[in-house]
Amino acid sequence: MPASPIPLSPLCQLPAGSTGRVCELTGDDSFCQRVREMGFGEAALVTKISGSSTSLCLVNGTRIALNHRAAMSILVEQLPASAH
Amino acid sequence: MKLPAHIALPGRRRPTPGSDRTPVYAMVGNPNCGKTTLFNALTGLRQKVGNYPGVTVEKKIGVTYSQHGRPIQIIDLPGAYSLAARSPDEAVLRDVLLGRRADTPQPDRIICVVDAANLERNLYLVHQILDLGRPVIIALNMMDMAAAAGMKVDAAELEGELGVPVIACEAVHGRGLVELKLALSRLELPLARHRWDVPVPIAPAVAEIQASLADNDARTPLIARAEALLLLTDFDTVRVAGSKPLSARTHELLSQWRQRWVQEGTDWSAVLIRSRYDAINLLCKDVIRRPRETGPSRSDRIDAVLCHSVWGWAFFAVIMGALFYSIFSLAESPMNFIDEHVAAFGAWVKGAMAPGDLRDLLTDGVISGVGGIVIFLPQILILFFFVGLLESTGYMARAAFIMDRPMSRVGLNGRSFIPLLGAYACAIPAIMATRTIENARDRLVTILVAPLMSCSARLPVYLLMIATLLPGDVVPATTKAGIMLTMYALGTGGVFFFAWLFQRTLFPAAPQHMIMELPPYQPPRFKEILRHMVERGWMFLKNAGTIILGISIVLWFLTTYPKHPDPHATPTAQIAQSFAGQAGHLIEPVIKPLGFDWRIGIGLITSFAAREVFVSSMGVIFGVEGANDDTTPLRDALRGAHWPDGAALFTPLVCIVLMVFYVFAMQCMSTVAVVKRETNSWRWPLFQLAYMTGTAWLVCLVLYQAGRALGY
Repeated sequence: MPASPIPLSPLCQLPAGSTGRVCELTGDDSFCQRVREMGFGEAALVTKISGSSTSLCLVNGTRIALNHRAAMSILVEQLPASAH
Repeated sequence: MKLPAHIALPGRRRPTPGSDRTPVYAMVGNPNCGKTTLFNALTGLRQKVGNYPGVTVEKKIGVTYSQHGRPIQIIDLPGAYSLAARSPDEAVLRDVLLGRRADTPQPDRIICVVDAANLERNLYLVHQILDLGRPVIIALNMMDMAAAAGMKVDAAELEGELGVPVIACEAVHGRGLVELKLALSRLELPLARHRWDVPVPIAPAVAEIQASLADNDARTPLIARAEALLLLTDFDTVRVAGSKPLSARTHELLSQWRQRWVQEGTDWSAVLIRSRYDAINLLCKDVIRRPRETGPSRSDRIDAVLCHSVWGWAFFAVIMGALFYSIFSLAESPMNFIDEHVAAFGAWVKGAMAPGDLRDLLTDGVISGVGGIVIFLPQILILFFFVGLLESTGYMARAAFIMDRPMSRVGLNGRSFIPLLGAYACAIPAIMATRTIENARDRLVTILVAPLMSCSARLPVYLLMIATLLPGDVVPATTKAGIMLTMYALGTGGVFFFAWLFQRTLFPAAPQHMIMELPPYQPPRFKEILRHMVERGWMFLKNAGTIILGISIVLWFLTTYPKHPDPHATPTAQIAQSFAGQAGHLIEPVIKPLGFDWRIGIGLITSFAAREVFVSSMGVIFGVEGANDDTTPLRDALRGAHWPDGAALFTPLVCIVLMVFYVFAMQCMSTVAVVKRETNSWRWPLFQLAYMTGTAWLVCLVLYQAGRALGY
């Protein structure tokens, strides 16, 4: 039986306090490169601290602020609380 | 057992080129990793530091001394996450390291400052720099922050893995500086054991471009390889003035390979970055030991409140309110002290000297002009104290986070707010700070609107007008602070309006991505704040002692000569027929509809040099008018000024209109010059001058005429 596709959501929709895994970057090349260079690339774990319009996240122990457009361009898979 | 780097094999050592020449070190690292703090500690210089990314936007050069007393030159470069530059400040780092800057020697060696609490990401830049094949020293900074986060970072292990000197240090506390100086003093440094190979499918492209760079662009083999890797993945080729352009052949090859990859649909940039991070993760495996369980840090707990959608705004409002209230309440006593002493000194000079032009020059020109400005020193210091607190604690970046949403409504993003907030102190460093903004369009809009933020030079004008408007000391400080806050809000409102207008008309485009690191909160570094306050206060006094003194003397001359034919003419008649009076009368038809007379007109002309000159000009003009009296406080002299028909000149309406004029008008030639330099054209500063001063005139016209119609 084929595995069901992982439901992805933009980072801005990740609830505050939850953790997700970055699965896809959809912005322009320049943005994707910078995000990856900051350690925010595919497979990175990201914890949302707060925000819906502007998001505040924790990636590798660093607090990163992203505006709505940037957070919309990062698609994450929400991880269950037990998997953090 | 791993050998420390200083006993590495002789074949891998790299002596400093030209042993009799002063070695040049470049100091590089991610934004906000403590480079400038370390640079200051090593060189004894006092470059500005702050707890937010993007404090340094241009290279700074200093000298330290080796253990044998030899000079060592250090170039402090702006912070960057990668050599693939995204903004003008990052391009400075890239171009200096690659030897592309004609005005800067290529560094012999590189000090990589890395934040131990965020080692993997910081090592990404180091990894790119190691490709350059130059001797590198790693300063493992912020070890205290790593320890506070429960991390153990093994400097010796990292040194063993990389094969270059790794010095654990805490620049803020001065720890590790001796060891770092010893490393800098070494005549020979080992080259890194760089465990990374270019991914196989990209290797032919790298080899081809590397060969072209070596043959056609006079690059050394290692630099050519590093630059080839960079060019293949650097989509945005931000250039700064002075960079050498690439040869046509290299450009052609680059275009061919990029087109080929686009057709293949392969993102080689992502592959390269992943490949580097894989190597870094392997490297750090035995270097970092993290705590098993981590709860929210102190900064996380503070951010939960200060970045909250409601509490964040409330705190921001409290901070701004406290700033303006303090400017009035705390500064009152020292201001009165200065006021009394300046007046007493003026009276003493008047009494001690025989009547004549020299006495009038000293009392009405020098003491009235300079004394009128010096009185505002306490308030300027309070403003810089608050700005220093915001910068030092890390709140500056949070303010940008909070302001991102309203900024996005006008087409900008939170990143533009840091320069704008800095413009409350002075527009010139704020305009330079826009170099951290990646998008050229956003940067230009931010430059165009930044001078609308009320800078410290407007403060004396506002304070003088508020003092004239609200006579006596019975009016509570909160009322005065309220008027002041309104002026600041008006300027900030102007920023939003014009940013929105420019984004809609001049530069229509989709909103840009914004991604910004928020530094951990730190206790305020009062020593740094006080030093910055003293520096700014001294600069203010130096201005008062040079530019303002000069303008006051010239203005006194222009208001005193030519002498009125009638030696018994009134002071007003004398000043009216003087050179300054004639100039004032010339522009009076333009400013009379705003409620300003020719004497205010003189102040508007002279204050184009700097806004605070308006106050000294008023001091000279009204000091001359009251030449026969004792020196009186300027606010009383202004309150007594009249139109020829006997109507009061400085009515409450005129005081408000004058403040509003200074909110919007571009009365600062230094800002015009810096905008010309940053935009590399006269077009934008002239446009800025026209739109700001035009707006000021129009708004003041409407305000004054409406006020008059309503009976004020």
